[in-house]
Amino acid sequence: MAELLIAVIALVIGAGAGYQWRARKAAGAAPTPAADPAQESLTTFAGAVAPVWSAQIDSSRSQMEDAISQLTEKFAGIVEHLDTVLTSSSGALDDGQGGAFDRSRQRLGEVVGTLDEALTAKRESLSELHSLLGLNEELRKMSGEVTRIAAQTNLLALNAAIEAQRAGAVGASFGVVALEVRQLADRSQTTSSRMVENVDRVAAAITSVLATAEASAEHEGAAVAHANGEVQAVLDDLMTTLSRMRDSSQDLEQAAVGIRGEIGDSLVSLQFQDRVNQMLEHLRDNIDRFPEVAAAAASGKAPLDAHVLLDELSSRYTMVEEHHAHRSGAPAKVQESEITFF
Amino acid sequence: MAKTILIVDDSASVRQVVSIALKGAGYEVITANDGKDALAKLSGQRIHLIISDVNMPNMDGITFVAEAKKLPAYKFTPIIMLTTESQEDKKKQAQAAGAKAWVTKPFQPEQMLSAVSKLVAP
Repeated sequence: MAELLIAVIALVIGAGAGYQWRARKAAGAAPTPAADPAQESLTTFAGAVAPVWSAQIDSSRSQMEDAISQLTEKFAGIVEHLDTVLTSSSGALDDGQGGAFDRSRQRLGEVVGTLDEALTAKRESLSELHSLLGLNEELRKMSGEVTRIAAQTNLLALNAAIEAQRAGAVGASFGVVALEVRQLADRSQTTSSRMVENVDRVAAAITSVLATAEASAEHEGAAVAHANGEVQAVLDDLMTTLSRMRDSSQDLEQAAVGIRGEIGDSLVSLQFQDRVNQMLEHLRDNIDRFPEVAAAAASGKAPLDAHVLLDELSSRYTMVEEHHAHRSGAPAKVQESEITFF
Repeated sequence: MAKTILIVDDSASVRQVVSIALKGAGYEVITANDGKDALAKLSGQRIHLIISDVNMPNMDGITFVAEAKKLPAYKFTPIIMLTTESQEDKKKQAQAAGAKAWVTKPFQPEQMLSAVSKLVAP
């Protein structure tokens, strides 16, 4: 800003010289010849300082443009990263809440259901074994009945043999039949006894298997119930963890959205660089013209009039606030954006 | 498929600000540093809208608009002028060259998006 102040002072000096030139002209004096030391001095001065001021302004523009460009590039990178994070975070949340957890619960439920079905099938088998034991008992009773029938048959055959013997020769053949019947009754009794023994052995085996299977079923039932409880507990823990993660993720998401908004606002503010750059460019071009105008005045071709430079400067303005500052000498507020559709 | 917008401005910061606003709204963005650079980038790709500065080195925005409109592929492509320029005659020149809207800087992203969405949907 020191350079700008010096430029203004130089323009004021120039304006003063222009006033003197006009005063001399009004008094009928001839234009000052080129050899006027004061004019030569001003030409030398302008030729020496203007390029330096101009270079300094260009340097400032360049530095500011580089810095702001780097800043906006960094901000743009941050915004892009935030967008990526927000997108992936949102996707993960959706999948975590509605997808992975529900799928896990369904699959674990299926596993527990399969175990339950196996246990139910086993209990049905046990029930069948109980029925078998009942049937076996029926068989034992029937065998006992056969034994009793055989004993009675034997007794009847014995009586028949006695009666046949009493009948003498007439009853001889009947005695043979009675003997055969007694032998059949004996064999029936023997077979019946063996059947009872086998039925008892089968009953013992079934009872033993049943006892083992019932103990196993009871143990498996307890295991399935425990597994069911554990699965539910794990799912509850998982749900709690997911819920915390979701809350945390939402907090982060909100913070990221806030940061993105803040950065967006900051970037909007950085548009000042474009405006300031143009203002400095206009000023630099005007300073570049200063030695030329001073030389023209020194050679007597034109008066050293500040309005020459000031009018040229004014003609380059593009912004309302440039015109305002030029007229009033005070800084003007930046105009709000306007949109015109053609 | 996202619409593509060409941003033409000699200020890197303005290009970035406009890019972020448009990308955030779902547009694809291409940038050019001046009118000459922009003309070179028009060929070989489909551009649905152009946002151009007015005062630029090498080729100014109004000349660029006039040149772009001479190309058959861009005869009906909407162009928004984004500028610090306040002079009415410049605005009329841009309109005569074929621009569809005039937005003054510094702009708010919402304003720019509103103007863009009136001319082309994302």
